[in-house]
Amino acid sequence: MPTEPYLVAGVVLAALVILILLFKAVWRVAEPNEALIISGLGARGRTELTDSLGFKIITGKGTSVLPGFQTARRLRLDSRAANLQVSCVTQQGIPVVVRGVVIYKVGDDLHSIANAARRFLDQQDSMNGAIHELFTGHLRSIIGNLTVEDLILNRERLTGETRASAADEMIKLGLIVDSLQIQEIDDETGYITNLGKPHAARIAASARIAEAQRDQEATEAEQVAAANKAAAWRDAQIKQAAYQAEIDEAQARSRQAGPLSEASARQEVVVQETRAAELEAALAEQRLQAQVRKPADARAYETVTLSQAERDARIAQAEAEARETELRAVAQASQVKQAAAAEAESVRLRGLAAAEATKATGLGEAEAAKARGLAAAEAAKAQGLAEAEAARAKGLAEADAIRARSEALAENQEAVIAQQLAENWPRIVEAGARAFGNVDHMVVLNGAQGIEEMLAKALTLGGTGLGLARSLLNGAAPASGGGPEANGKAVDPAP
Amino acid sequence: MVGKQGRVTGRIGPGLVGEVMVEVRGGVEAFYAHSTIPDEVISTGSIVVVVEYFPPRTVYVARALV
Repeated sequence: MPTEPYLVAGVVLAALVILILLFKAVWRVAEPNEALIISGLGARGRTELTDSLGFKIITGKGTSVLPGFQTARRLRLDSRAANLQVSCVTQQGIPVVVRGVVIYKVGDDLHSIANAARRFLDQQDSMNGAIHELFTGHLRSIIGNLTVEDLILNRERLTGETRASAADEMIKLGLIVDSLQIQEIDDETGYITNLGKPHAARIAASARIAEAQRDQEATEAEQVAAANKAAAWRDAQIKQAAYQAEIDEAQARSRQAGPLSEASARQEVVVQETRAAELEAALAEQRLQAQVRKPADARAYETVTLSQAERDARIAQAEAEARETELRAVAQASQVKQAAAAEAESVRLRGLAAAEATKATGLGEAEAAKARGLAAAEAAKAQGLAEAEAARAKGLAEADAIRARSEALAENQEAVIAQQLAENWPRIVEAGARAFGNVDHMVVLNGAQGIEEMLAKALTLGGTGLGLARSLLNGAAPASGGGPEANGKAVDPAP
Repeated sequence: MVGKQGRVTGRIGPGLVGEVMVEVRGGVEAFYAHSTIPDEVISTGSIVVVVEYFPPRTVYVARALV
């Protein structure tokens, strides 16, 4: 059994293992996120780095490192984060406490790696402390150039300020800043809170306004709905009441239908009875008209007619009596007058017979003529007086028959007086003629008319005396014996 | 580096340190950028061309004639 091949194989394997171990000990590979910094024998950089400090930078590949002659160190190119907390003031002088984070890494180019390697190769874990210190100062100056509003809102301004402030120093350190983030701003004065307050108040106000408006609209809608409900309820109640009233009315009407028809029937009966009574009353009236009124009218007409006839008869009788009295007075007057004339003529004739013959004859004729004239005048006067009295008596008789009769009787007295006067006429004429007796020659220019005028004047004077005498006679009416005295007195003033 | 195009991610202007993103080494890296023309302002989003490169992280750029 040959053991050679196994030995050879074992030796080869051991040699291979040794070789691999040796290779592993010599060969180093740089990961994508790291750089190998090789320094030592033969460690030369690239041509452009001939003036370098004498180390080689390997990224992304492997290389051999001679143990004992060379040393390889790894520089991590990962992103690192450093938390920052800075108390500072803004551009407006407002004190704030800013907490942020800066994300940085070692630059990927060889220059940056070289710079970083020279600074941080043994202090990679303390890199954060240095960056923290660095960025604290930078952040303070950055925030000092910004306002709170920019800090919150203007991100480009923040990054720009960060670049402008830290670019050179980061280049020196071989680092690049990927991002600077402000995480939190503590504002002791309440500036940020107040910054939002107007907007918050405006939003709150608009919210309250909207709420109030919606509430108002809702309330209005509710009230309108309630009002409509009430109106609908009212309408329904009104309609129900109206229908109920109609129902009640119909029921009442149906209940009253029986009595009503009875009453209407009775009413018609009463109407008919009333009409019958009216007809009876009309019949009775007609009967009364025929039996009572017509005869009464006839009787009344008869009475009136009889009364009128009686009255007319009485008037006619009174008129006749007045006429009779008047005529009687006229007759008496003419009788007295004739007697007086006769007496006067006889007296004168006796006087003339006793007077001288010649003169007496002429005078007697004259006086006879005068006496005739006078007699005629007196007769006419007496007739006129009698007519007047008769007319008066007639008027009185028309007014009242009885009074007319008494008046007529009074006029009779007048007539008596007149008669007495007539009886005294001769003496009156004598007295009147006495005036002419003293006249020797009387020339009468107008003839018989002139004599009449003269006599009329003389008798007019006597007439006044006659009126006076009548008034005296009236004063002593029943004393008929006083008549001559009055006549005598009446005559006296005549001349 | 020189001649590569990049995109402005931070405003470039006088008194400011701008930022451009440039494709390099198989990735995209951010570089501090300044304008080659003094007082020129290049706003964010513009395309620029790297005119000068100052290691490790500074470039001078000009507007690209797109």
